[in-house]
Amino acid sequence: MAQVKIDCMYEPCPIPLLKAARELSSLELGDVVLIETDHSCAIANITEWAEKEKLDCWIEETRSGDWNIYIKKT
Amino acid sequence: MINQGKNDRLWQYVGGVLLIFVLVLIISRMAERSSVNLLFGVLFGFTLQRSRFCFVSCARDPVLFGNTRSVNALLLSLAIMTVAFPIIQNIQLQSIGKIVGQVHPVGIHTAVGALLFGFGMVIAGACASGTLMRVGEGYLMQVIVLIGFLIGVLLGVLNFGWWYDRFIAEAPVIYLPQYFGWIRAVIFQLGVLLVLYFFIKHYSSRKKIKI
Repeated sequence: MAQVKIDCMYEPCPIPLLKAARELSSLELGDVVLIETDHSCAIANITEWAEKEKLDCWIEETRSGDWNIYIKKT
Repeated sequence: MINQGKNDRLWQYVGGVLLIFVLVLIISRMAERSSVNLLFGVLFGFTLQRSRFCFVSCARDPVLFGNTRSVNALLLSLAIMTVAFPIIQNIQLQSIGKIVGQVHPVGIHTAVGALLFGFGMVIAGACASGTLMRVGEGYLMQVIVLIGFLIGVLLGVLNFGWWYDRFIAEAPVIYLPQYFGWIRAVIFQLGVLLVLYFFIKHYSSRKKIKI
C-alpha cells in the first residue's frame, strides 16, 4: 500500500485535480495519493470528483489555509 | 488541539461580525448608500465563500471533469433573477417610471469581451468576484491578480469612450419584455435556461478524465 505525495502548494484550481487524476491512473488498488494544497477551491473540486469516481477521500487541515487531501484507489 | 482551533474560529467570527456591524453603522451616518453596499458585499462574499461557488468552475468543470455543480447553481440563480427582476421592474415602472437593471447594447463586443474575460480568468485562477472573495479569505496569491484587476479597470475606464463610439453605440439594446411582453419574456428566458440545463447535463455526462 504505497503512498504518493503530490505537492500542489501555490497551484491554482484545476492543477491539483489534474495531477491527482494522472497519479491515480498509474497506481495500484489500495494506494493512497496525498495532495498538499493551499487553495480552498481544490478541496471542493477534488472531493466532488472523488465521490463521482467512487474513491475514498478524506481531508485534514495542517495549518489555517493549508490542507492535505488523501485519495485512496478502491 | 482541534478544539482549540474551533474556539479561535468562534472568536474570529464574533469579532468579524461585530466589526462589520460597527462599520456599517458608522458609514450609514455619512453615506447611507455605501453602508448598504458594504452590507450587501459582505453577505455576497460570505455566501460565495461558504458555498465554494466558482464562476471559472462553471465553464471549466462540465467540459473537463463532467461536473455540473457550479453551472447548475448558475442556471438556477439566473432563473431566480429572471422571475424576480421583471417583478421589481414592473413595480418601479408604475411607481417612478424608470427601471434598474443592466440593459445595455449587445453585439460582437459582448462575445469578444466574454472570450477575453474567459482567457483571463483561467490564467488568474478566479473571476472578478472570486478574486475579491479569495483575497478576503486570506489567499494572498490572489493579490497579484487583484493588482492586475485594478490596472485593467483603470485602463478600461480611461478608454471606454473610444470603444463605445466605435463598437457599442450602434449596437441594439434588446430588452425582451419590450418585444414579448412581461410574461412571455419570462417564460421564453426560463425555457432557454431549461434547454441549456439539459444540454449541459447531457454533454457533460460523457466527459470524464480517464483513471
